[in-house]
Amino acid sequence: MKEVEQLTDSMFYIMAALTKPRHGYAIMSLIEETTKGAVAIGPASMYTIIKKLLKQEWIYLHDKSDSRRKTYLLTKKGKKVLEEDLKIRKLMIQLAENGLEEVEE
Amino acid sequence: MSQTKYIMSGGLAFAENKDMEKLRRYSLQGWHASDFKFMGYTLEKGESTDYTYSIDYRLLKDDEEGEYFDFFSSAGWSHVVSEGNIHLFRAYPGTKPIYTDQDTTVEKYKNSSDSMKNLAIPFVLLTVLVWVGAMISSGIFESILFGVAVILSIIALPTAWTIITTYSNKWKAEGKKGLVNIVKIIPFLVLFIVVILLLIIGSIDKDPAISLLTYMVAGAIALPTAIWMIMSFYHKVREKLN
Repeated sequence: MKEVEQLTDSMFYIMAALTKPRHGYAIMSLIEETTKGAVAIGPASMYTIIKKLLKQEWIYLHDKSDSRRKTYLLTKKGKKVLEEDLKIRKLMIQLAENGLEEVEE
Repeated sequence: MSQTKYIMSGGLAFAENKDMEKLRRYSLQGWHASDFKFMGYTLEKGESTDYTYSIDYRLLKDDEEGEYFDFFSSAGWSHVVSEGNIHLFRAYPGTKPIYTDQDTTVEKYKNSSDSMKNLAIPFVLLTVLVWVGAMISSGIFESILFGVAVILSIIALPTAWTIITTYSNKWKAEGKKGLVNIVKIIPFLVLFIVVILLLIIGSIDKDPAISLLTYMVAGAIALPTAIWMIMSFYHKVREKLN
């Protein structure tokens, strides 16, 4: 059901951060740093999304040796979903960029 | 021993934001929430601090707690207390909210209504069945079922109201305004129809079960209304005095 729908922005950011094994706090800081503080994901939203992505099998528990700082990583399926979503997002950006260029001309 | 006092909750399903705002106001006066108490919170005297409070609903397994609370503390939210699936946090002003998008906010109220419905809906249904049983049976059975039904109803009516409210909170988060407005009218509409129906049935069939039920429903409307009126009057007076 959810698989054909587009990812929410928060899901997209989190999945993009999980191309490498990271724990929750590392995901939050990476997103904040990369977007220069423009985007922040609250802890309750983060926890909800991690649980959802695990259930969808788009990410998996990579290392649980530190129970407070478990790390997660994208699964093959998750990587595919992210790649597909990235394609659509690139088209979205292209649409806006082309539109703005036309205005300038 | 530290100084403590008790304040009443407006009911988390009904007035979560009001409760959180109230806790913040008390913290500014140096009274900080430290525990959930029966229908309210325990406050502890400390130094005046500007704390923002937030509630999350989530059923956690033992091995999930460490990580869950670490997410919050990493983001600047310190854990105050938990009871069952309800978790209270506080943070200094400027901390990013615990929910930052609409999709997950919807899940929050889904968590709250899910945990309610597993217990409450069968309970409310059972109450209805016992009432039906009391009406169709006779003799000793009728009296027993009667007693049981009365006791169950005392708990079931407020429970039913709470479930409806948790669903309404969820719809509100989803942005379904129409449904929320319907929900606001439902309790009044249902009670009104029930009273009318009972009066009609009562005038045809002089079954004591029905007349008692009529009184109970009437009581169920009158009692909370009276409590609500007294409470809001009390708060108004107190706010003026403060």
